Amino acid sequence: MDRALQGVPASPGIVVGPVHLLRWEVPDVPTRIIADDTIPGEIARFREAIERAKERLAHVRDRAAAHAGPEEAAIFDVQIGILDDHDLINQVESYIRQNLAAEKAFDVVLHEWRARFAHHSSPMMRERVGDLTDVHIRLLSLLLGLPDHDPVEVAKGAKAILVTHDLTPSLTVQLDREAIAGIATDAGTRTSHVAILARSLGLPAVVGLRDAIQRLTGDEHVVLDGTTGTLVINPTDAEVAVFHHRAEREARDEAELRLLVSADSVTSDGVRITLRANVDLPEESVLAATSGAEGVGLMRTEFLIVGRTVMPDEEEQYRAYRKVVEAFGGKPVVIRTFDIGGDKLPAGGFPHEPNPFLGWRAIRMCLDESEMFKVQLRALLRAAAHGDARIMLPLVVTVDEVRQAHGLLDEAAEELEERGLPFRRDLPLGIMVETPAAAMSADVLAKEVSFFSIGTNDLVQYTLAVDRGNVNLASRFTPLHPAVLRLVKRTVDVGRAAGLEVAVCGEMASQPVMAFALIGLGVRQLSVAPRTVSLVKHIVRGISAELAAEAAEAALASDNAAGAEKQLTGRLRAAFGDASFLDDGLLHS
Amino acid sequence: MVERSVQVINRNGLHARPAAEIVKAAAKFRSDITIVREDLEVNGKSIMGVMMLAAEYGSELLLRADGSDEQDAVSAIAKLIESKFGES
Repeated sequence: MDRALQGVPASPGIVVGPVHLLRWEVPDVPTRIIADDTIPGEIARFREAIERAKERLAHVRDRAAAHAGPEEAAIFDVQIGILDDHDLINQVESYIRQNLAAEKAFDVVLHEWRARFAHHSSPMMRERVGDLTDVHIRLLSLLLGLPDHDPVEVAKGAKAILVTHDLTPSLTVQLDREAIAGIATDAGTRTSHVAILARSLGLPAVVGLRDAIQRLTGDEHVVLDGTTGTLVINPTDAEVAVFHHRAEREARDEAELRLLVSADSVTSDGVRITLRANVDLPEESVLAATSGAEGVGLMRTEFLIVGRTVMPDEEEQYRAYRKVVEAFGGKPVVIRTFDIGGDKLPAGGFPHEPNPFLGWRAIRMCLDESEMFKVQLRALLRAAAHGDARIMLPLVVTVDEVRQAHGLLDEAAEELEERGLPFRRDLPLGIMVETPAAAMSADVLAKEVSFFSIGTNDLVQYTLAVDRGNVNLASRFTPLHPAVLRLVKRTVDVGRAAGLEVAVCGEMASQPVMAFALIGLGVRQLSVAPRTVSLVKHIVRGISAELAAEAAEAALASDNAAGAEKQLTGRLRAAFGDASFLDDGLLHS
Repeated sequence: MVERSVQVINRNGLHARPAAEIVKAAAKFRSDITIVREDLEVNGKSIMGVMMLAAEYGSELLLRADGSDEQDAVSAIAKLIESKFGES
């Protein structure tokens, strides 16, 4: 059997530990007929299981409230409510009176209810299937005496690797960071809920392993490498030593880099490069604020929507934005309006599209759903009263979209005026430059926006017509393609001529060779994941802007991406001499 | 028997948490409580029933109670729905 499984790296870091296998799935229930005289006993057994499940849920709720907050924990009150439901209990007991064993009676009733909810026309109803399924699994496990896989029961200090099919929100809020050291899932992508959550908690994670659950029994030890996306089952001592060595080196590099937190981000020839952090969740803002980042260059707002069907109201959004704005006390916080659609759909809420990346998404959907969009704009205007919040529109292709957004922002401000709530009207509104259309129209757009921020991932995808999620195309996804470099250069030149700030906020900016290229193309603001701020600062301090400009010019004049990369890496290596970080996969991570 | 109509005025409608609150409130009364939306009638003391209403923002509901404390039951539930369940 192959002991090394390859998945998708979702959150960096290396850990070795025992497997905690979480099979959170509805078990098969054999039909069992009971004798008439055992019916009262069977009903008592059913009621006893209900009580135990409710006690357990109350415990889970309290733990979740402590880990994740009362709003997240409220879902367990709903599950307790389901177990209190007299209609449900009566239905199960009537089956037991017809000589069906308790587990089968409950199983039949729950399957019926889940089907009714799953096929309901209202997305609000379909979202509840998850709660019914949780209750279904929990009670059947008790009635069948199955081993308890509840993540809440992992002992503190176990440093276990949680392996499961997918981490549902209700499982996620139970995670105890003192017990779980890493996460591996069979489902999921880099942008799925579990990946975002693991990164925000700083837990190494690998997703998309496909069949890890089938290959494991739960008694194994594993190495989880969230940097490369590997899971090694029962590693040999030699393998563990290799991983330990790498983990140590990563830790040592990080410790060295941490010393740079308070250092200036200035090149050797005195050019200041502003480094900001990308933030996925409000909870990350504390980490981001201590990373040495001078503000937030990209706060994503999809966390408010992903995995939910009801849109977050104005208050919830306002609180989330305000939290980040306040964590950065007066430094700029660029908040991107909902970039939903494509691979980030709220459950059940939007139509299936054959070509989602070219579809009804991001600013297109927000402008069409203007009432929904204005809720977000009002929350942003209010959050801006607490610091330097800025609004950024994703996927802009025409100036018309900017004009419409300005109009809706005016309306949102008037509505707040009428309600008499404090807000700040003059917050800057800028755009993501992530389509060739935006880059080529930068001169027109520059007249109506306050800043540009280049989204490298999407700009590469749309310029080269290469789907970034398609593994067969991975080698064709080349950010250093001269066409991409030219679009970046054009955007920078036009923006600077118009006096606008031009930033780059893709994760790609944290790769040394990309950071080097971008600085060479004239970019002076980079926004990266909080944990890579110091790495980029290390690059900035080790190069001169003049060398970067020379390298970028040579890259622009190259035939292809490989040629451009050669021009850049040659000069970068010369600047750093022996630089292990260039070879650690960080270069191509 | 007492009846009263009420409109769902919280943005997110009667999703899980509001449904749980209604059922909790209904359980305090001795009367039978029924909630009607269009042609669907459910037991107001059953969370599955109340969720099954799929009552979104703007839905019109009819509350019906039958029993010794019917008046209080209908008022309490109507008040809860009109309070928007603490949503803004």
